[in-house]
Amino acid sequence: MLEVFKSTLPFLVHGLWITFQISLITIISGSFLGFVVGLVRAERIPVLSPVLGGYIHVLRGTPFLVHLYFVYFMLPATGVSWLQLEAFPAAVIALSLYTSTYVAEIVRAAIEAVAPGQSEAARSVGMTAVQNLWHIVLPQAVKLMIPPMGGIYVIIIKGTSIVSVIGISELVRAGEHAAQRHPSELMLIYGMVALMYFVYCYPVLRLAKWAENKIGRIQTEH
Amino acid sequence: MDWILDFYNYRVVAQFIPEFQRGLLSTAGISAVSLVIALVVGTLSAIMSLSARPWLRNISGAYIASIRSTPLLIQIYVIYFALPALPILGRRLDEWEGGILALGLNAGAFMSEIIRAGIESVERGQIEGAKSVGMNYVQRMRYIVLPQGIARVLPPLLGQTAVLIKDSSLVSFIGVYELFGAGLTLLNERLMPNEAFLTVAGCYLLIYYGMFLLSNRVQRKLGGAYA
Repeated sequence: MLEVFKSTLPFLVHGLWITFQISLITIISGSFLGFVVGLVRAERIPVLSPVLGGYIHVLRGTPFLVHLYFVYFMLPATGVSWLQLEAFPAAVIALSLYTSTYVAEIVRAAIEAVAPGQSEAARSVGMTAVQNLWHIVLPQAVKLMIPPMGGIYVIIIKGTSIVSVIGISELVRAGEHAAQRHPSELMLIYGMVALMYFVYCYPVLRLAKWAENKIGRIQTEH
Repeated sequence: MDWILDFYNYRVVAQFIPEFQRGLLSTAGISAVSLVIALVVGTLSAIMSLSARPWLRNISGAYIASIRSTPLLIQIYVIYFALPALPILGRRLDEWEGGILALGLNAGAFMSEIIRAGIESVERGQIEGAKSVGMNYVQRMRYIVLPQGIARVLPPLLGQTAVLIKDSSLVSFIGVYELFGAGLTLLNERLMPNEAFLTVAGCYLLIYYGMFLLSNRVQRKLGGAYA
């Protein structure tokens, strides 16, 4: 058992490293995309806002596994050359789209949680809509977005486990390979994998909880 | 009309209708059984987390933390691949039992936190009133606290159920045949990703839309009672 532990640990740590990379890239790209979508939704920009509302509903209504297969199998079938994605970019794109729907709802809720008197006062001293958003609303809203983003980050980390299915050698995939080599030690191997996810996610959840107590929470619809 | 057939050959999909029907029914069945497990485990865990005994609170806390901090896929793997033969059954769990148990335990942790919020929202006066008419702890929970508490959090519970239905697609990884598996069958037999995954996505969207309507209805119904 100790032998198996020692021989599989380096592989699993490497898998964790890939999981870390994917989750880090995705939180950045997904947050950026989600921020734009959430801003459009909160400002109720005509035509764009309902369209992006539909985008959120469609992505929320289907499993991530479907998004992943959509990006990895369906986009290449269109024949467009720049949509012939390798596994890694396909995984990051699918995860970013999935993440953006969560981020968009948070951004929208945070902007709407800023008291309307703030915008009214800003407009009455002659600020334009953009100035109002940039100098008054967003600085207050961004603070409210921090606690729920911790939860989103954990959702992404857990989501990366699914991209193992298109052949990315992240933590679950590394665990599967180790399990094939040592079929008698499945409990140990999958236990180690679970523990690694726990070590990565649990501190983030605690931090999010701490931030929520400090900053307060906003109501998001699910 | 040829471009439609190029993009989405509905004639091929029509040949696979029995597969998709079987998949839909299977997804519905898996979700229903998992939901029952999740509600039972979630309610127990919520009650434990509000207990005066620290060890009960700790068990509930450890359960919720470990489920929330690990991916569902790994939970399915641990329960299906790694769990040894159970003494009660005298054998190991098959893929259906393992998948359903993992889904139920996973959703149970998230529902536990929702139900806990519901229980906490019940006014103290309700419990004091129940005590003053001589109800014991179990009676208070059964007749006073849980009915009111759970009714108040029905909308988020329905939202979590929608997540559970989507998550059930992951049991296809351990070979359970459900809606996503039906799509995979079409993909493998005909190599037609559009037909396979657009149909699967459409079916999930239909389920999601149904849950959405149900949730709105429940919210309207409860609106008068607990605004």
